[in-house]
Amino acid sequence: MEILTQLIFSGIALGMIYAVIAFGYQLTFATSDTLNFGQGDALMLGALVGLTLVGMGVNYWLMIPLVCVFGAIQGAVVERIGVRPALRIKSEFGWIMSTIALGIIFKNVAENVWGHDDLKFPSPLPESPIHFLGANVLPMEILVVVGAVLMMAAVELFNRKTIWGKAVVATFNDRDAARLMGINTGLVITFSYALSSMSAALAGVLIAPLTLTGSTMGAVLGLKAFAVAIIGGLTSGMGIIVGGIILGIAEKLTGFYLSTGYQDVPGLVLLLIVLAVRPAGLFGKTAIKKV
Amino acid sequence: MKFTSRLTVVALACAAASAFAADPIKIGVDGPFTGGSSSMGVSMRDGVRLATEEINKAGGVLGRQIQLVERDDEAKNERGAQIAQELINKEKVVAVVGYINTGVGLASERFFQDAKIPVMNNVATGSVLTHQFDDQPENYVFRNAANDSIQAPMIAEEAVTKRGFKKVAILADSTNYGQLGRADLEKALALKGIKPVAEEKFNIKDVDMTAQLLKAKEAGAEVILTYGIGPELAQIANGMTKLGWKVPMIGSWTLSMANYIDNAGPGGEGARMPQTFIQEPTTPKRQSFIISYLKTFNPKNARMDSPVSAAQGYDSVYLLAAAIRQAGSTDGQKIKDALENLKAPVEGVVTTYNKPFTRTDHEAITANIPVFGEVKGTRVVYAYPDDFKKASEVRVKDVNAKGALPAAKK
Repeated sequence: MEILTQLIFSGIALGMIYAVIAFGYQLTFATSDTLNFGQGDALMLGALVGLTLVGMGVNYWLMIPLVCVFGAIQGAVVERIGVRPALRIKSEFGWIMSTIALGIIFKNVAENVWGHDDLKFPSPLPESPIHFLGANVLPMEILVVVGAVLMMAAVELFNRKTIWGKAVVATFNDRDAARLMGINTGLVITFSYALSSMSAALAGVLIAPLTLTGSTMGAVLGLKAFAVAIIGGLTSGMGIIVGGIILGIAEKLTGFYLSTGYQDVPGLVLLLIVLAVRPAGLFGKTAIKKV
Repeated sequence: MKFTSRLTVVALACAAASAFAADPIKIGVDGPFTGGSSSMGVSMRDGVRLATEEINKAGGVLGRQIQLVERDDEAKNERGAQIAQELINKEKVVAVVGYINTGVGLASERFFQDAKIPVMNNVATGSVLTHQFDDQPENYVFRNAANDSIQAPMIAEEAVTKRGFKKVAILADSTNYGQLGRADLEKALALKGIKPVAEEKFNIKDVDMTAQLLKAKEAGAEVILTYGIGPELAQIANGMTKLGWKVPMIGSWTLSMANYIDNAGPGGEGARMPQTFIQEPTTPKRQSFIISYLKTFNPKNARMDSPVSAAQGYDSVYLLAAAIRQAGSTDGQKIKDALENLKAPVEGVVTTYNKPFTRTDHEAITANIPVFGEVKGTRVVYAYPDDFKKASEVRVKDVNAKGALPAAKK
């Protein structure tokens, strides 16, 4: 029983890491039907900028808002350079290539600025585990879970309650109609990219003390998060959390009860099943695309 | 028009100048200078650069300067294969030093074998590397690193015989390196009548080792034997801290990597691993090597990121230079023949190479050379004070040294 609890706790912590990154995919998809494939790299940049700030003597908690600002700017740049031109000519695939290209550029820049090695991110919380229900949890893992939930709640609240959020939702529902109603949809899309990269950058500094920080940290995480976004549904904030937790726990349980060699398989099998049975994702709304 | 003609003049002048000076001897350097293996790759490259600079300052080889052609294989097998073909066909190198990752070495070396260009494998440890071409009349792959058939029995000896652990768990990564090493470890343990209670696998870039460690813990493991590289090894140590379960870690030499030591922090202390070189000035040669390395590359806290890679990288160039000198030629076959029959001893950092290779034996390091290192105060030190005391007596190759597994069959 103790083992099961431990595995589930570790799975949840890992799943929430995936979920925060996947959340960023969902944000941009919600406004523009596009994804930032450089999400993993936005996370990596956030973590490295955070590490530099901490190295300069900035307090961890003070550093977080600074990293958020950096993330927002970086996201806006990605949208302006990579996505807007593609949207303007109504290209179906241009943004895929350009966001991937920008991601690679960011990675190369990071390699040149911060080097190639994985660096340790000093943990702002004690690194000794807390005993909870017979299992061990790191304080940092709790912070990731709490931080992720808070961030997602804040964005959801923003979308539902504020006039700006309503503009975001309207843009998602019908971009052309929203534009006719006087909403500056271009700005809304830029804003959603800024928000998306901001959440990735925040995720970066949240998880960096648990993982290691380096120019390649985003690649695998970004990919796993993409699977989570598909499993949970690209249109549902709730789905992202559930999808993340399912994937995290599935990995840990398979690792322990089946074989650690097969750890990555269940998530991908789940992905295939979801795509076959519910292509919109477990919690996604099935959209009918009018052609 | 004026501009182009001026260019032509410059080009002609250059061509004339280079025709007068002797052409440099091109030596390829291949290793991962980016990614999780980079602390080994970069240290190796720095060692190679240092040796090359010293040789060139002393007049070069055969009156010609050595020119390094450095390529980053990113620890990717397919990159390695591409680079091998580039070095052979485009750069026309005379010989190659390097290879950190066993998989990359396996993927690349057949090109050099076909092109009859000697490879001095200075870091990768997979046992099969020097035996890939045993069935061919000539083998162009040499090695001056402690291979896994030496390291695995050392690890087993340390864990089972010296420290008396009966229940061992193996944690290895899913690369060629990790899995070939795991197979060697199993063999070495079987010779001692021990069957591991748990054998777990992890991927490069895995950030959570809970499942692997819980399995080992449940199986009652008293020690964890590792075959992986720095960042993931650090995650194992961190995972143990998290689970509040602490057993000793003993593993392959990669536990000495800076990115293991730094990322694992206090949880990584006490890990032990076989080492051919420990950053201690125990002989005059080692002292001068350490001083000039620190002066030239100025690593953080005066600690080499991977002292073993740096030392072996340094030695590999001197071995090649000696062979080229003896062969009196840069012909691949003649260099290979010279390597197999080196007349004068080569004084290196790891050891003094006295007839390091023969026709059938392409391993310069034997089981009696490596010692055990231990992570202590974020540095690698001698695990046994006796080894430290006797470190000034250079351990030289002994073909009859006991402890190595029988040669791997392809």
